[in-house]
Parts: sequence; structure tokens; C-alpha cells
Amino acid sequence: MSHIQARDFFRYTINGLRAQRLRSVLTATGIAVGIGAVVLLTSLGTGLHHFVLAEFSQFGTNLIAINPGKVTTHGISGALISNVRPLTIEDGEALGRLPQVLDVVSVVQGNAEVTGGGRQRRTTVYGVGAAAPRVWNIGVATGRFLPDDPPRAARAFAVLGHKVRQELFGSTQALGMRVRIGGETFRVIGSMESKGQLLGFDIDDAVYIPTSKAMALFNQESLMEIDLLHATSSSSAAVAEQIRKVLQSRHNSEDFTITTQEKMLEVLDGVLGTLTIAVGSLGGISLLVGGVGILTIMSIAVNERTGEIGLLRALGVERSQILTLFLGEAVALAAIGGVVGLGLGIGGSRLFSLLVPALPSHTSWGYVIAAELLAILVGLVAGVLPARRAAGLHPVEALRAE
Amino acid sequence: MIQLQHIERVFQVGDEEVHALSDVTMSAESGEYIAIMGPSGSGKSSLLNILGLLDRPDGGSYELDGLRVSGLNEKEQARIRRHKIGFVFQFFHLVPRLTAFDNIALPLKLSGMTREERQTRVTAALSAFGLGNRAQHRPDQLSGGQRQRVAIARATIMQPSLILADEPTGNLDRHAGVEVAEILEELNHQGITLIMVTHDPDLGRRAHRRILMVDGRIDHDSSRTRT
Amino acid sequence: MQLNDILLFSMRAATANRGRTLLMLLAMTIGVGSVVVLISLGDSARRYVIGEFTSLGTNLLIVLPGRSETTGGPPPLLGGTPRDLTLDDAMALSRAATVRRTAPIIAGSAPVSVGNLEREMMVLGSTSELSEIRHLDLAQGSFLPPGDPTRAQAVCVIGMKGRQELFGRQAAVGQWLRIGDRRFRVIGILASSGVSLGEDLGELVIIPVAAAQSLFNTSSLFRILVEATSPEGMEQTRHFILETIRARHQGEDDITVITQDAVLATFDRIFRALTLSVAGIGAISLVVAGIMIMNVMLVAVSNRRAEIGLLKALGASQRQIMGLFLTESAILSLTGAGIGLLLALLGMRLAAFLFPQFPLQLAPWSPVIALAVALFTGVVFGVLPAHRAAVLEPVLALARR
Ligand SMILES: Nc1ncnc2c1ncn2[C@@H]1O[C@H](COP(=O)(O)OP(=O)(O)OP(=O)(O)O)[C@@H](O)[C@H]1O
Ligand SMILES: [Mg+2]
Repeated sequence: MSHIQARDFFRYTINGLRAQRLRSVLTATGIAVGIGAVVLLTSLGTGLHHFVLAEFSQFGTNLIAINPGKVTTHGISGALISNVRPLTIEDGEALGRLPQVLDVVSVVQGNAEVTGGGRQRRTTVYGVGAAAPRVWNIGVATGRFLPDDPPRAARAFAVLGHKVRQELFGSTQALGMRVRIGGETFRVIGSMESKGQLLGFDIDDAVYIPTSKAMALFNQESLMEIDLLHATSSSSAAVAEQIRKVLQSRHNSEDFTITTQEKMLEVLDGVLGTLTIAVGSLGGISLLVGGVGILTIMSIAVNERTGEIGLLRALGVERSQILTLFLGEAVALAAIGGVVGLGLGIGGSRLFSLLVPALPSHTSWGYVIAAELLAILVGLVAGVLPARRAAGLHPVEALRAE
Repeated sequence: MIQLQHIERVFQVGDEEVHALSDVTMSAESGEYIAIMGPSGSGKSSLLNILGLLDRPDGGSYELDGLRVSGLNEKEQARIRRHKIGFVFQFFHLVPRLTAFDNIALPLKLSGMTREERQTRVTAALSAFGLGNRAQHRPDQLSGGQRQRVAIARATIMQPSLILADEPTGNLDRHAGVEVAEILEELNHQGITLIMVTHDPDLGRRAHRRILMVDGRIDHDSSRTRT
Repeated sequence: MQLNDILLFSMRAATANRGRTLLMLLAMTIGVGSVVVLISLGDSARRYVIGEFTSLGTNLLIVLPGRSETTGGPPPLLGGTPRDLTLDDAMALSRAATVRRTAPIIAGSAPVSVGNLEREMMVLGSTSELSEIRHLDLAQGSFLPPGDPTRAQAVCVIGMKGRQELFGRQAAVGQWLRIGDRRFRVIGILASSGVSLGEDLGELVIIPVAAAQSLFNTSSLFRILVEATSPEGMEQTRHFILETIRARHQGEDDITVITQDAVLATFDRIFRALTLSVAGIGAISLVVAGIMIMNVMLVAVSNRRAEIGLLKALGASQRQIMGLFLTESAILSLTGAGIGLLLALLGMRLAAFLFPQFPLQLAPWSPVIALAVALFTGVVFGVLPAHRAAVLEPVLALARR
């Protein structure tokens, strides 16, 4: 009751494939193209995934944002534009007194013309507090950031973003110079490091002034946002609950929206993961066609090798062994195609990164292994029908076929 | 060693039933040399297929070495084919993409023998059948006689107790045919039961026992007339 | 050989091996079907978004306060500016010949209540002209009355969903509701519900612009919508708006004007690119199908050596043999494409039936694309096998089976 040795079995299979070299190569190529597409597309998807997550998580996962207004079913709340129940600097201060909260920034944003150094530029103006560099994780290049003045009586200091500094003062000294923003004069006390683009927004094209000054400048009563960092020892959800309690007691209603970075990253992670899988499955269509290719070629092989099957049966090969033999061939075709496809996909995504450095790609081993397993599965499924037909052949009939 | 009782084999062709074998009863002792003869379509191959467990009878029973094999399942029948029975066909049935060596080694591989063991046995078989310098040739590079010798080598490599040959010389010229017959007879001398279908009366005469088939029945059995 | 003889011959050859032929058709069907479906989905999405944007109004220009200097960067969609865009600015814009209508807009969020029921809702302050510019339909009552925009009448128009949540089954028109600390009388209900570019019309409350100014205690407008008289007048109107506001703002360029057709063109471009990439991904499967056709045709050639040899012995030229095999692969791929197209059509019909809110249909030019691509695939991948058949030596072809 001996069984054919695995190595011999393998040899016989490979021998079958090599005898029809061109045919096997073409069939495997079909699978290779499919797997290559899946790997390349998931690499791009994963790359984008990592890129976006990295952009967001540079703020740290212990960031929480509070906006005025209750976000309804979709999109941004109108309360960001105007509202009757403002979010105030005092709200921000109250949140700062929570034990778990490390830093708080009260944010107002607007668009204004900045004049200085004999030049002018329309740019984004942020009204913020002293904690902004820590909360937003941006570094000061020269001078210092806004001082920790009393919020309602802040001095007229300005800190320039990298680009604004360049545009207004070029290579000359900016520290100590004066800039005019919407009729008021500010003294430049620092400039920021270049941060580049963040998801399409040029955050270097900005000027930072005290919150209260910006509110006056833009004639606004409400903050647009309060950003805060909490101690990593407590969970975002717990801190968010604390914040909710504080604001609710101050406003007597829940007219604000709390977004934790953790939650946001989670949602983003989910969305991007789904996107990657969706794009990968589009590539999977080719794999399906490749599977049909294996099915066809294996059916042809069973047809052509009917005589051989009859002989094997006459030699005492069991039905199940014939089944395994042809299944083995199908799986080998798919697996070899799969490996080549992995090479194609990984190489393709490398090439892509080289050609378009802006679009990151990242080959995740999880997807690579999944793709190869998928290829093998495709081979298995595509091989079942022909292999069953081969195994079901009557030995006498099969022998007569030659 | 072989005991056939009332074997029936019926093929349904359209509306018609073709009785390839009807009420075939015969037995054979170990070491016999039997020639099955008869006109074309008389059921010779059908009988051989049933003897070789390649086909199941529609009726009757078959005992091989005291075992009722007609009732065995597919897997057990395959095992018996592998170990007890060797086939030789008119059209050789060699695997075209395998070399002579690999064709002969096939049954050994199927039974899970290691490479080293195979090597010695196949090499011995090759030289025994005068194919020593043909080991790496594929069937299309061999003559008909050489092909049939490879096929016989393959049929005997597992040292079966029964060799079934269906017109082994049908596709060979006279000289090669005699050569093949001599090889088979030599195997028979060594004690292997040999059952051979043939149209060649000369070849038939060389057998110790002749069975004549007509219309799916045993018309004449030389052993029975003798007794 | 006559054309119909060639067709007949190839057809016979293709149908002789039914299982194999069906599998090839299946592969081609999957390829063509997925490409057509993906193109159609992309095209439907494009038409949906463009349609949504067009329904915002015709010949529309949108004025927003603030300006961004980085070219190509996003316009300042949110946030304040030192100098407000005012109601007077808006009124000044209506004085040009190429301007048909203007509507100032103040947007914000405020608690809206009836009795004890309170909901935070999006509040728009505008004028009667908003209804015409945005093609708003009313289910009941009337829109904001025309007249002096600086007069703050205490009336409002509410969306369907808001109506339901605040008034339930009771009649709403003529009733009073409270927005913030002010009282407004409901004079109309918006008919169209659904989402129009991020604004849920169902959850909207529209009040006179002057009332919104005092409600939110602001003089600055969020947007000004300007409708030009004709598409040709758009550019002229844009200039007029920029000039007028600059003159009114002491020579400062502190607004951004977005024209509808520029936005439409951008969306159009984005969606076309998206459709193309998705279809390209789908087309990879066509390549795989092509490889498969090539493979099977190669098998057919080697199986039919004897037949080819015979044809040659009977005097067929290489060209004719080549033609026969190419015709066979073309027939296969075209038939597959036809079935794929049909399935895609059915699929899109089904999708349209399941999601009636989206304009899902087969892209008009997809049949042409599908057939062309399939024919191309079939012929390109058919060349190698056909060539092999054509150059077979007749003696060799006849010698072996
Ligand atoms: N698979 C089958 N289906 C239908 N009829 C069959 C089948 N196999 C054999 N037969 C019929 O059974 C009968 C016996 O056939 P068999 O092959 O045993 O004859 P044979 O004696 O070997 O002839 P030959 O000398 O020509 O090889 C014939 O009439 C044949 O037509
Ligand atoms: Mg016979």
C-alpha cells in the first residue's frame, strides 16, 4: 500500500507542463498578468493608504478637535461659517483646565492681504495661541512663536509661514520687521519651518497671529475650531467625554462637534483599506479570466492525454491519484504564473515609485501572500473540472482513444 | 489462479445491445501460456480487459488468486493492477514525452519506490531487453520492436504474476514479432502466467493452450478438448 | 476562397470543439463586459455630478470673499476676511447688462424650534432671486417675496425634512417657528429634497438676507451667486464683477470668482480621467483573454496539422491559411464581445433598476469601444497561431497525426 513519492509526483507534473512549453508559458502568463495587476494596484492602494495616514498621524493620535455646531447627516456644518451659539476663547481656556489636557489652541482662520518688506501677499491668516507649534507639530525656524499672553489682551505679534516669509522678505531679515494685516500692524517675532503641502493645502502659505486679534480682524465672534492635545495615558474617548461634559455645562446644549484624531484615523483607515481592496478586486477580473485560461488548457490536456490516462489506470494508478495529478498541474501553472506575477507587480510598483515619486506605493507582504494564495486557489478551482473528468475516464475507453 | 464464472459483458449501442461476452466461463492455472484467438469483434479484447480489471463484467464472477476481485472497489482493483498484472498493448501505449527509461520507471514511481532502487531495476531491465543504449530515447526515436520491448519491460518491472498482452505483435513485422514473442515466452518460463490475444496462427500454435472466441463465447478451448 | 466560404470554414472550425469555444467566449465576455460596465459606471458618475452642478443654475458665477495666490491651489472656501463682501456689493453687481440675476447668500447654523421641538439646521439668508437662479421648486406656499433686500421680513421657507420633523402631520405654511431668538412665519415648503452638492435641501431654512445678517450678527456675505444672461457673457461678467468689487474695495483684489463652466470642465476632466483609468484596469483582463485565445488557437493549429497539410496539398496559399485562422479568432472575439456587451447592458439596466436615484446607463460609445478592442485583441493575439499554421510544411503536417 505504497504511495507515489511527492518528489516523483512533482516531477511528473512538471514534465507534463514542460512537454507543452509554449502552452504552459502562455497559460501561466495569463495568471501572471492577473496577479501582477492585483499586486500593483494593491501596492498603489496601500501606498496611498500609508501616505494619507502618515500625513494625518504626524499630529499624533492624542489630538482632539472641537468645532461649533452639530454635524448633521453629512458634510460640514453651517456653523463653521456663522452661528448663533459661538465657541469662544473662554471655552478653550476651560478645556485647558481639564487635568488630562496638555495643550489647547483656539483657532480662527481667514484670508487676508499681508503687507511687509515693501511687498504684499494674500494668504491664509490663522488666529492661534502659544501652544500651536506643539499641537500641530510644526517647528519654529527663527525667532520664537507667539508668547503666552492673556488671550483677550494679546500683543500684536505675527509669526510668518515659510512661504510668506520668502515672498515678503526674501533673503533679508524678517525678525523685528512690521507687517500690516487688514489695517493693523503686527511685529514679526518668528518664522516657521517649511512643512510643504498637507493634502493639497500649502501650510507654508500662512501667517499666525493671536486668536483675539484674528477674531477682531475677521469680525467673528466664534472660533472655528479648538484643537487640543491630551495626555497619552488617558484614552481619546474618555477625554472626549470630559470635553463634552465641560462644554455642555457651559452652553446648556450640545451645539458642538468633537472629532478625535484616533476616530478619524480609524475611519480613514477603513475607507482607504476598502478602496485598496476595491481596486485590487478590479485587477482580480483579469485573474478570473486567467482562471478560465487554465480551465481551457487543462481540458485540452485531458483530451489529448486520454491515452496516457488509460495507461496510467492500467498500471494501477487510482482514480484519486489521476485527480491529484491534473489538479497538481493546474495548481503548478497558477502558482508559477503567480510568482512571476508577483515579480511583475512588485517591479511595476517600484518603477511607478521611480517615475511618479509623488504617488507613493507600498507593497505589503500581506497582499503579496494573499495574491499568491489566490493564484493557487484559482488554479485549484479551474483544475477541478478537467481533473475530475480525467479521473472519471473509463480505463478501457481511454486506452481505445489512442 | 484465474476463475471466471458466467461472465457477461453487454454494450448498449443506440437501441441495440451488443453482447461482447456472453456466459464466458474459464479458469487458468498459475504459469500457463494461453493464446486467445478468434475473428475480429469476437470479444477477445473485452475478455482481456475484464481479466486485467480494466473493465467490470455485467454479470458473473471473477476470482483471482482465490480473491473475488469482481466485487472489489476501484482503489483495491488499482492496487491489484499495480502489483499483480502487467499489460502489453498492440499500440504500445508509451507516454510520448517520456524517455524509454522513464516509461519503464513509471510503475515503480507510482508505487513510491525511491530513485536509487529504481535506477538499478530499470537499468537491469533495459539491458535485459536489449535496450541498454536506448535509455534516454523518446518513443518517437525508437523502432516498433524497440517500443514494444520498452512496453514489455514496463509491464514486467513490478514482477507481476500475470501478463496480459493484446495483439503484442500486431503492429510489428515478422522478425520483430517473433522476437517479442520469445521475450514473452521467456518470461512465461520464469513462471509468469501469460495470456495473449493474437490473430497470428503461428504465434497461437506456440502457446500451450488456445482459446477460440466466436461471437462473445468460448467456441473451443484446447485444454478442455485434451481433458 | 470566397469570403463566405472562409467564414463558413472558420465558423465550423470554431464550433467543432464546443467546450473549448465556449470557454474562450467566456473569457472574452468577462473582459469586454467588465470594461463596458466600468466605462459605463464612470460615465454615469460623470453625468450625475455634471447634472447636479448644472442643476445649480445656468450661466452661474459664484463670488466668494478672499483670494488665494497659489495658482492651482484651492480657493478660500471657509474663513473670514478683513473686508466683508457686503449686501451693497451684491446689489452693485446686479447693475450690469450681462447680469440677469444676483443672489447674496449668508449661511450658518442655528437652532430652529417649534414649541418644545428643537433642531440645529442650516440657515440660508438670501433674496427672492435665489429661487430662480437655483431652480428651486416649491411644494407649497411661496418663496421669499421680492423687494428691498435690506428689509428684514420675518418669513422663511423650509425644506421637506425640516417640515416633517418640526411640524409632523400639521400644516406648516402660515405657522410660526423660532430661529435662534427670533420668530419667523413659514411661507413656503421646498419641493425638491435630496442632496444638491453637499447641501441637503430637505434640512434647509431660507430667510431674507437682512434677517440672517441680524440673526448671525454679521454684515459679511458667504457667497454671491450671479447669473449671466448668456454663456457668451460669462467671461465679460467675470471681468465686470472683479472690476466692480475692486472699485468698491479701494482697489484691492480680495475676492475669488468661480465660473460654473470652469468648474464643470474640471469635473468633466477628473471624471474622464477616472473612467479611463478604471477602464484601463478592466482592460488588463482583455489582455489575459487575448493571451488565452492565442494559446487555444496554437493548440488548434497543432491539432489540425493534418487538416492544414491537406489544405496545402490541395493548393491553399499561406495567405489563405493565415486568413482562415485569423478569421476564426476574430469570430471568437467578436462573438465574445457581443455577449459581453449584452451582459453589460443587462447589468447596467439592473443597476439602474436597483438604484433609481442615479442615472445609470450604458455609455453611448461603449459598444464601439468594446467591439473595436475585442477585434483588435482577437486579431493581434491571433497572428502568431495563424502564422504558425501558414508556414507548416505540408509533408510534415501530413506525416504525423
Ligand atoms: N465501448 C464499446 N461500446 C460498444 N461496443 C463495444 C465497445 N467495446 C467493444 N464493443 C463491441 O464488443 C464486441 C467485442 O469487441 P472486442 O474489442 O472485444 O473485439 P476483438 O475480439 O478484440 O476484436 P479485434 O480482433 O478486432 O480487436 C465488438 O462487437 C465491439 O463492437
Ligand atoms: Mg481487440
